[in-house]
Amino acid sequence: MEEMIKLTGLKKAFGGVEILKNISFTLPKGNVLSIIGPSGSGKSTTLRIITQLEKADDGNLEIAGHTLFSSVDGKAVYCNPEEERQIGLKTGLVFQSFNLFPHFSVLRNITEAQKAVLHRSREEAEEKAMALLTKMGIAEKAKQYPYQLSGGQQQRVSIARALALDPEVLFFDEPTSALDPELTREILKVIRELAEEKMTMVVVTHEMHFARAISDWAIFMNKGVIVEEGNPDRLFGNPQEERTRQFIASFQD
Amino acid sequence: MQGLISQMLEGTVTSLEIFFLTLIFSLPLGFVVAKGRMTRIAPIRWIVDLYIQVMRGTPLILQLIFVYFAPFYIFGASYDRFTACIIAFVINYSAYFSEIYRSGLQSIDRGQYEASKVLGFTKAYTFFHIILPQVIKRILPALGNEVITLVKDTALAQTIGVAELFRVAQTASSREFSTLPIFIAGVFYFIMNYIVSRLFVVMEKKLNYYR
Repeated sequence: MEEMIKLTGLKKAFGGVEILKNISFTLPKGNVLSIIGPSGSGKSTTLRIITQLEKADDGNLEIAGHTLFSSVDGKAVYCNPEEERQIGLKTGLVFQSFNLFPHFSVLRNITEAQKAVLHRSREEAEEKAMALLTKMGIAEKAKQYPYQLSGGQQQRVSIARALALDPEVLFFDEPTSALDPELTREILKVIRELAEEKMTMVVVTHEMHFARAISDWAIFMNKGVIVEEGNPDRLFGNPQEERTRQFIASFQD
Repeated sequence: MQGLISQMLEGTVTSLEIFFLTLIFSLPLGFVVAKGRMTRIAPIRWIVDLYIQVMRGTPLILQLIFVYFAPFYIFGASYDRFTACIIAFVINYSAYFSEIYRSGLQSIDRGQYEASKVLGFTKAYTFFHIILPQVIKRILPALGNEVITLVKDTALAQTIGVAELFRVAQTASSREFSTLPIFIAGVFYFIMNYIVSRLFVVMEKKLNYYR
């Protein structure tokens, strides 16, 4: 199967503190990977390095066959800026805090990058945006501004904004952590639909049942290392490591 | 009386020239100063910080005198007093504007930059289309205050002999043994600032479409 992401030996330290010690995983095209783990385990940092919001210290990363960085003498060496940009366009990221542009309407939030980055025409961009908003069930909100929307609606706009650029792989960084249970369900439903369409995704989440249900593979991280990984039924149903058991048990009360 | 009013209108034109020229140069320059104040390059940051401290820590009237007379004492060359006046106002106001910009820039959530980066916007595009519009909305009230102060500060230009509104009023006042011209000047300043503050209200309303 074609690999979408091939990450090996990723290391990252902030101010001398090792946040990621040796992270490796591969993600085949069309698969969904969920990453679980306690706060500070390095889940978000891993996503932020793959989506180029942070730089790796060491390791190798290939996205859709293109090398973003590779390890040379114990240091991550990045490709040139133009290649970085091209690879960046293959990835999309959905944030915990949405990060919509408050001064743009919902529609413009989704069309802006299509026009400015992909040079699509206004008509094409708007058509794409409306199709995505319809899919998200919020087409009637197109003319409104982010502050007029509920958190769940804002997060759906931000998913549409990411999808509008046709990324090959989409990352979710705790997409429901800022939402109440009802709104969380709205978002999980959207992600589940994307999984059914065989969108390649990596989801960092604390929604255990959801992660188990949608993923093809699951990783448990703790203190900057991958403690355990496996198919979700095994990882969630029959964890082998004590730390994994503790963590998963903490959600079952 | 008519002669007096037309003289004062002429003075007002000079005041307005100082006002607009100062804004045209210091509004953009303030951004450059703010960027310098926020740079990671320490020596640049220290120099810019010192400049801001000096501009805010000494009277504008003194700065006007310094800018006008310093070239004479250092190089023995004198120059046009109006030019000196504009230079002094611009370097002073750039310092004040830069601090307002800095407060605005630092109030923007990091997530706005991160979302822009992930979507592939260039740094320049992010600044002009995503960050700057939000900064302007947030700093408008503080900017309004500063611009109103500028209208009144133009009266200081008389220190180095620029014939702006207040100087014209004072000259007329001593010629006619009457304080009336001074009061008329007061009305002029009030009208100018009334217009300025209404303009800011309009701009704030215009940007009120989002939160």
